[in-house]
Amino acid sequence: MAMSIGHLRGQPDLTPKKFSRMFSDFNFELFDYVQTPEEFLRTKSGDCDDYACLADDVLKPKGFETRLIHIRLVGMTSHAVCYVTEDGAYLDYNNRNIFFTMTRSDPSLRKIAGKVARSLNANWTSAFEFDFSYNNQRKNITAKVVRTQDPSTDPPPGKAAPRPNPFLVE
Amino acid sequence: MDKTFRLILLVFAILATSMVTEVVLSITNLQRANRSAQWVNHTHAFIAEINAAVTAGQRAESALHAFLLTNNPDQRAQMSQAFGELSEHIEAAKALAASEAESKSEVAELETALIARADIARALLAAHRSGDTDSIHQQLSEDDPTQIDALASLNRRIVSRHQGLLQQRDRVEFNRDNRTRNTLYVGAGLTLLLLLISSWFIRDDLKSRRREAALLAASNEELEARVAERTSELKQSNRKLRAENLESRWSAQALEHQLRYNNLIIESVASPVVVVTRALNISRVNPAFENLIGELAPALVDQSISEFVKLAIDESGDEMIDPFELSLRSNQDLVDHAANAIDHNHKSRPMLASLHPLRDHDRVVGGVITLRPSN
Repeated sequence: MAMSIGHLRGQPDLTPKKFSRMFSDFNFELFDYVQTPEEFLRTKSGDCDDYACLADDVLKPKGFETRLIHIRLVGMTSHAVCYVTEDGAYLDYNNRNIFFTMTRSDPSLRKIAGKVARSLNANWTSAFEFDFSYNNQRKNITAKVVRTQDPSTDPPPGKAAPRPNPFLVE
Repeated sequence: MDKTFRLILLVFAILATSMVTEVVLSITNLQRANRSAQWVNHTHAFIAEINAAVTAGQRAESALHAFLLTNNPDQRAQMSQAFGELSEHIEAAKALAASEAESKSEVAELETALIARADIARALLAAHRSGDTDSIHQQLSEDDPTQIDALASLNRRIVSRHQGLLQQRDRVEFNRDNRTRNTLYVGAGLTLLLLLISSWFIRDDLKSRRREAALLAASNEELEARVAERTSELKQSNRKLRAENLESRWSAQALEHQLRYNNLIIESVASPVVVVTRALNISRVNPAFENLIGELAPALVDQSISEFVKLAIDESGDEMIDPFELSLRSNQDLVDHAANAIDHNHKSRPMLASLHPLRDHDRVVGGVITLRPSN
């Protein structure tokens, strides 16, 4: 039986680990937009954005401090992960069907970007922390880190308030 | 520490220095190449974000125009999504441009131009929402096409400048790579040269050591030959000495036999015989003298002969010197001189005494006195 978003949201004891185990049989398919949870769960097919945004959407109401992180990689599509502060680890769609579905990492954006890039054998150029809402399908960048910049100028780990978006056209 | 060892040590010290320098240089170059690669990745990412932002803007406007014509909500959703992507790319470009003032100003200029396009889109959507098609037509007809051309031109300018920067960087890196390569070649050549020099030193030293070893071996052989020769001589000499030793032993044995015979003769002679020293003290007597005096040899030895044999003194007075003494002094035999033998009971017996001096080479060391009864 296919999983539903109601089923996920209705589990009071759902942890990031349990959440990640539910996607072991999902397939990878790249979309140029973030799929709705229903579409993603029904087709059991999606990409890193779909997985990370769904994790953020499901785990946050259960009291977990989640952070959506986008890593720009050289010669590759950007990669998204969902960092769970309580676990000190991130959920990565690439790790959905291996034993360690969560990867431990320092909470800094730079460290997470470096770890993700290493797991993909690639170099990263920049990483962003963002908010996502299924309502407007819009990603609002809240923190940025550039690899070539001095790490001392990096923003502290955690959620920054989103800034007004001049490109919001609805 | 010999000379060759010092030279090889010096060569290896230079070799080690050269290798350490090469390693340090290689590590430095690797770090520099890594930084350079990061810069190149960064610049390409910046160009990609700028291009993607402009493309997203164009897609958004296309979707907007299609929505205005068809009123298809999918077109509207696509427009909204494209503006969302545009926002994301501009934020990324701003972040990547933060470290360079010129790039920062370029992104700000591009953002302003794109915000202007977003404002136009917002106004068109507002007119569409209110159903004011005249306003839409007016806004579209008043839309300055040069603004779009300027946006495309700005995009090309930004990309072109960064491609120029990439080209410059590539040239610098190319030249640096050449220099590094040449340095490493020189280092490798120097290492090889030093290895050749050290191998030459080692070869030369080994040759010299082999020569010395051969000389030493020859010298040893010569020495061994000499030792063998000398040993043979010593053996021969030893054989000769043994033979001589045997002969002298035989001779000593013969003398000993002779002495024993002589002693036997003296012991068995019936006439008293006394051996005296140069001072005329008795050193030896035969049994006949012991019988004559009535004392054994131990009581007689070291006593003066005058105690037991009294020579007749010439009455003329010329004979004041003891005849025995005179005989020894003059080294002439005294024959049958009248004398009296005094025994242990002080009884006197007339005797004839003779003295024969004993000589060691030309020197008189004592004498042999013989006595025989006078008729």
